[in-house]
Amino acid sequence: MSIVKNALKIFGGKSDEKEFRGFRKMRGPPPKKGEILVRAENVVKGFPGIWEHLILDHINFDVRAGEVHALLGENGAGKTVLANILSGFYVITSGQIYVRGKPVKFSSPRDALEHGIAMVHQEFTLVPTLTVAENIALGLKEYSSLSFPLKEVERRLAELSERYGLKVDPKARVEDLSAGERQRAEIMKVLYWEPDVLILDEPTSMLTPHEVDELFKVLRGMAAENKGVVFITHRIEEVMKVADRVTVLRLGKFMGTKPIQETSKEELLRLMIGEVEPFRPVRKPVKSERPVLEVRDLHVIGREGVEAVRGVTFTIREGEIFGIAGVAGNGQRELVEALTGLRKVKSGKIIVMGKDVTNKSPRELAKLGVRHIPEDRRGVGVAEPMTFGENIMMRDYCSPPFSKNGIIDYDFVTRHAKELIKKFEILTPDIWDTEVRILSGGNIQRLILARELWVEPKLLIAFHPTYGLDMKALTHTHKLFMRLREKGSAILLVSEDLEEVMSLSDRIAVMFRGKFMGVVDASKATVEEIGMMMAGIKPKEVSA
Amino acid sequence: MTSAAVQGVKRLFQKLKRPLLESLLAIIIGLIIGAILMAIFGYDPIAAYSALLIGSLGSFDGICESLANATPLMLTGLTFAIGVKSGYFNVGAEGQAYLGAIGAIMIGSTIHLPYGVHLAIATLFAMLMGALWSLPVSALKAWRGVHEVVSTIMLNWIALFFVRYLIEYHFYEPGRAERAMPVLPTARYQVLGASLTTVIFVALAFMLFAYFLLWRTTLGYELRLTGSNPEAARYIGINSTRVIFLNFFLGGLAAGLAGATQVLGRPPAWTIYKTLGNVMNLGFDGIGAALIGRNHPIGIIFASILLGVLSYGAKFMMYLGVDPDLARAINGAIIIALSLPELYRIIRRLIVGRGAE
Ligand SMILES: Nc1ncnc2c1ncn2[C@@H]1O[C@H](COP(=O)(O)OP(=O)(O)OP(=O)(O)O)[C@@H](O)[C@H]1O
Ligand SMILES: [Mg+2]
Repeated sequence: MSIVKNALKIFGGKSDEKEFRGFRKMRGPPPKKGEILVRAENVVKGFPGIWEHLILDHINFDVRAGEVHALLGENGAGKTVLANILSGFYVITSGQIYVRGKPVKFSSPRDALEHGIAMVHQEFTLVPTLTVAENIALGLKEYSSLSFPLKEVERRLAELSERYGLKVDPKARVEDLSAGERQRAEIMKVLYWEPDVLILDEPTSMLTPHEVDELFKVLRGMAAENKGVVFITHRIEEVMKVADRVTVLRLGKFMGTKPIQETSKEELLRLMIGEVEPFRPVRKPVKSERPVLEVRDLHVIGREGVEAVRGVTFTIREGEIFGIAGVAGNGQRELVEALTGLRKVKSGKIIVMGKDVTNKSPRELAKLGVRHIPEDRRGVGVAEPMTFGENIMMRDYCSPPFSKNGIIDYDFVTRHAKELIKKFEILTPDIWDTEVRILSGGNIQRLILARELWVEPKLLIAFHPTYGLDMKALTHTHKLFMRLREKGSAILLVSEDLEEVMSLSDRIAVMFRGKFMGVVDASKATVEEIGMMMAGIKPKEVSA
Repeated sequence: MTSAAVQGVKRLFQKLKRPLLESLLAIIIGLIIGAILMAIFGYDPIAAYSALLIGSLGSFDGICESLANATPLMLTGLTFAIGVKSGYFNVGAEGQAYLGAIGAIMIGSTIHLPYGVHLAIATLFAMLMGALWSLPVSALKAWRGVHEVVSTIMLNWIALFFVRYLIEYHFYEPGRAERAMPVLPTARYQVLGASLTTVIFVALAFMLFAYFLLWRTTLGYELRLTGSNPEAARYIGINSTRVIFLNFFLGGLAAGLAGATQVLGRPPAWTIYKTLGNVMNLGFDGIGAALIGRNHPIGIIFASILLGVLSYGAKFMMYLGVDPDLARAINGAIIIALSLPELYRIIRRLIVGRGAE
């Protein structure tokens, strides 16, 4: 029914501006500090027939004006589901939601938006080929009239930019933006509606530390305007830094809400998972001299027909982790695409295990033991409408024992999947009845890690491999990387998480405008040095 | 039965419960709409519906006739379904069925061979003719990026006039120029009753083969992976050209066989007419069968039988005096109602996006 209603709204809406003022009026006077803006009382959400346990089991949660409220929990704890409920994407099974004291029942995201609750999703939702302003105008169209108020949108965006210190160029195309800029554009898209409550689902996973700080300033700025901010993350330090209160979920159970002053990192960790010992990689020096990947003077043409990789040369040896740092959009993506057979090389050579593999297909690379953790997990890494089993065999289906003579051995795949589910602790209700669409973000990432890393690859090309993983899984993955390194795998690690790159890599290359600004020894490098190179400033000493 | 088997059956039932209930509801809605239409035009819906049911299912001949109607539809439905599973909108079954029919005539009525051999070769040749007609679609798609809807529709028209030409100038029956030469008795499937022949078993075998191919083999996996997320297929290194050719080729084989069923397996004519009346619209009706059957080979079998019953039964409504056009409109209402759940799913995915419950 709601579809029909929405469709009618799409075609029969009033002008945005009017409607938008209407929102404000309906929502009453601006909130006063400390007022409870939205409250979930004994909320229960289940997906019967799919999950036996409840996804949210009698959750109490509230957001007050002027606070940043952090939501913590492991992968699959139910954070995204709770956020989706508060912002009208999911309907609750039982319980009650109140907005400023009045009981409400949302029938659509727009409904929630009208009540002043907006959400920024974990996955990016903007159309890559359009500009920021066009995207937002499109969003308006989706919600109301058929007009395309581009000028108006650009004006208001500038105004919002000013007000919150959110730097976004309304005329920039989304695909050209860095992760941080995209994130800001996503935030703009919902801020446009002047929500009272803003929910952000893992907004910091892909940001550089500097961008995280910027984002926090914005969040504090909103709180200062008596908005309520809900902030979902896996990083406890971030919670301690920016939040006023924190709520912890554990496998759908409410573990408690605490003011930040009355809690500690240790307590939060314990509430979340129990025990984890912090992981400090101890590394032995690289033993082997045998090169696994050799890249010689590589040139790659990017999306717009401009050269995105402009002459890159490097070698990764057995048992070496080679990190690539850099602000997104400096050619890392194109470099990885070329190395994994997804983009044609203009000139130069790629050699794996002594074999020239320039412009070879991913399939041929896989035969040489090259595995790839892609950047876009939902869009590229899995086929969402397919089952867990079909996704777990995606890399290996064409070779025995997964299939023989072209016939898939489902018994084997089932056994294999069970093993990986256990080993990588993937939360999935089933193997052959579950579409991976319904898995939580972190669990999809685990599926991809499991699929690519169940064998020891000769060469692993990993694009922010720990994106969206909780603390425990993150630690496991880092350990696994170190173990693979010791066994002689060569690993190319691309990440915007500088801390991760620095703690895992043996050497780090910083990419800037399609070239390496320099290659440094990770044990000697400093954050400042790498930061300088990321900004395009040459360091004094280079060791290739 | 072991408890595992009980579990398995329970699972299967759980999985099928929703589609079955939906389809049941859709049939009821369709029948009600049909009844309202009849009531508006002054007919007695109960009498008409019972005529339909008794006519198509109340006698051995009726059942045979309904099944004979269903036979080509399951195959053309399969053509469309394989396309959807691979991510393509293949509406070329119509023209490919014409080619299959004329292919059957070429072998069946001109060459002399012993019984079984003749039949087998004629059938295979017809299938290949259908598949041949799919090659330009694949080539245009793979190397020129031409959208398959455009190329298949064009080829449907070309097939229509090409086959008419072949009948008129090369394969007409001397003395009865309005049709092609009927196939020789050595190229006819055994009659089971009324106009139902053993060709239905060939059709069913092909459906099972398609099911096996799509869900048990690596080739089928590649088709379905490409259909569910082409980006993922690219990332894994699946050869998209191969997927395109395989998908349209398989579809062509099925559609070619559909055409053959009307020639090698359909008394009393055992041939096609210059109007192509007895193969016309098989491709388009097949799309209905595919939508009703949720684009699943097994679902399509049942959907086609339902369509066969409706189309044959409609005659009996006409005997009661229901206007032929109204009878068709009623069938149309039922078919649309049945296709709605699948269409609804597609549209919902477009509007609401991921994860809406
Ligand atoms: N539409 C759905 N149908 C069935 N189950 C679902 C659906 N959406 C989410 N779930 C399940 O609910 C559980 C909680 O998911 P949710 O996405 O809220 O986790 P999360 O806390 O956000 O985890 P992550 O840190 O991995 O993002 C998961 O086990 C997930 O598989
Ligand atoms: Mg989540």
